[in-house]
Amino acid sequence: MTSEVVNAPRRQSRRGASFRDAGPPVALIVVFLVFAALSPQFRSLDNVANIVDAAAVLAVVTCGITFVLMMGSIDLSAAGVMGASALTVSLLVANNRNDNDFGLLGIAVAVLLGCAFGCLSGLALVLLKVPSFMATLGMSAVGLGVATLMFAGVQPNISDTMVKGLAIERFLGLSYLTWIAAGCVLVGWLVQRYTRLGRYAFAIGGAEEVLALSGVKVKPYKVAVFTLAGAFYGLAGVMVTSQLGAGLVQAGDGYDFSAITAAVVGGTLLTGGRGGIGHSAVGVLLVMVLTNGLVQVGVSPYWQGGVEGLIVVAAVAAAVIPQRRRNQVVK
Amino acid sequence: MSTAVAMKPVHRLTGFMPLIALVALVAALTVADPDFLTQRSLIAVARTAAPLIVLAAGATLVVLCGGIDLSIAALASLSTVFLALWLPELGGLATPAVILVAAAIGAAQGAAHVLLRIPSFIVTLGGMAILSAVALVISGAGTVRVVDDSTIHWLDLYLAGYVPMSAAMAVLVVALIAVVLTVTPLRSWIAATGYSESAARLAGTPVDLVKIGAFCVSGGCAGLAAVMLVSRQFSGGPTMADNLLLPAVAAIVVGGTAITGGHGSVWRSFAGALVVTLLRVGLPIVGVPSAYEQILYGAIIVVAVALTLDRAKVSTVK
Repeated sequence: MTSEVVNAPRRQSRRGASFRDAGPPVALIVVFLVFAALSPQFRSLDNVANIVDAAAVLAVVTCGITFVLMMGSIDLSAAGVMGASALTVSLLVANNRNDNDFGLLGIAVAVLLGCAFGCLSGLALVLLKVPSFMATLGMSAVGLGVATLMFAGVQPNISDTMVKGLAIERFLGLSYLTWIAAGCVLVGWLVQRYTRLGRYAFAIGGAEEVLALSGVKVKPYKVAVFTLAGAFYGLAGVMVTSQLGAGLVQAGDGYDFSAITAAVVGGTLLTGGRGGIGHSAVGVLLVMVLTNGLVQVGVSPYWQGGVEGLIVVAAVAAAVIPQRRRNQVVK
Repeated sequence: MSTAVAMKPVHRLTGFMPLIALVALVAALTVADPDFLTQRSLIAVARTAAPLIVLAAGATLVVLCGGIDLSIAALASLSTVFLALWLPELGGLATPAVILVAAAIGAAQGAAHVLLRIPSFIVTLGGMAILSAVALVISGAGTVRVVDDSTIHWLDLYLAGYVPMSAAMAVLVVALIAVVLTVTPLRSWIAATGYSESAARLAGTPVDLVKIGAFCVSGGCAGLAAVMLVSRQFSGGPTMADNLLLPAVAAIVVGGTAITGGHGSVWRSFAGALVVTLLRVGLPIVGVPSAYEQILYGAIIVVAVALTLDRAKVSTVK
């Protein structure tokens, strides 16, 4: 994969893509300026750092889901996988339930568990041909069940200073978790840009039949993408555990939908083949600025989910309307 | 029921799957606990199953059209809040009002799906988030108690002394939907939409209206399920019915309705809902921790969808 190959199609589609690509960043700036004008608390430097810190977990989840969306699939399993990984890590590092103290190894196991869940979703998709939203809905339930089993009625509070410190200690004004999230975005961008997995994820979303006809074995790449996404959810579960100081079954509540919102509002199409990690990162910031800003100007935080729901429907509708004459069948 | 053109062996098998599962479950539970086949526990099962049957029956119509309604549980939760808030003022009119409003919300989602050409699972996923938010805001994120439940108390009574009224209502709703589908052209319109939407459109089927109608019935059923829940628990809550989504989806696919559309019926979902309820009630009887319930739902959904899928139709699965 040389860079010329990658650049060629970009140049051709620049005129059409430029407006679409510029939209989300412009929206981010506009929304930020509007809230800054409305609320003095919002424009304080502390609050900006707050927004970025609060975006950390969502950014990691969105990294994972973006690859799945690029393929044209969808992933609803984040909540379940994060719950299972949160319980796993909290039981493996120093905690009040058992004598384990595996530290980093515990985190690695939790991430691997996320991989395993992602891999299972991918296998259900390619081997059993179960549509991804059903496969991942089922996998989310399995994850929550596994988490409930491990929870066993007693909340595991972690005492591991390293895991707890990730959320508390700061570097350059931002928590370690934020830097981890930034690292994830960078890794995701590198995977998307320079590896076969990333390029094929795009191609599968754009034209799966063509890719298969040109001799690419599509199935292993699909499973690999879901596995990669699972790894990101696993890490996100660890990050939530670090924030809460305890392993909770509900660690991932709402993150699946927020991540879809962030990816879609950043310009990743649900039909696949367009968007990417860069878009999603902007989308995450946009969602976080919006939720933080709405609370700052006095809107009830309960509306958050409703605002996200409206954004998703509106963004998807806006993306589909130009082609509505072409695709007659929508299920 | 479904068109009998060249039924594949796998379909013939899945046709009996819910009944086989139902009989096997009842037999297994009777062996595990001889007290299971008593009047008391059967009545308890029927009462637990009633809201699930209604939810699943409504959503089955959407699945038959080839779509999915993920908002039913959130809509039912919102409806419990509406009912609890409106009962003091509207009294007996609150029940039909809630069902009508729920049906209208369902129809609105269907219209968004059809007019904006957004995939149904995205519309209803967004709808789920919006409806949950509305429920949280209007209830103040707390339980709304029902003080005077005289107007919905009838659902808690027993028909002929034994049959719970809610279960009887659930059977009535399923029968009503089934009869309306059979005596009108609706059944073939829905099946045509599900089997091949483009062909149905070319043949002059009002595909858009059929889909909106399916979502409307699905919403109305969610409203009725909410009335049943409130009559049993004397309160409404913004997350009261949320945990019914997975069982309802599981009931539909276990019944053998293919999520690719066309193949299936509301009676299958009725049987599926009974299977799911028996699993739920039965797990503690055989000594399995209830945490396995979730894992079971997840596995059931994936396996049942895989078994009932119309493989001829899906070349690329997303």
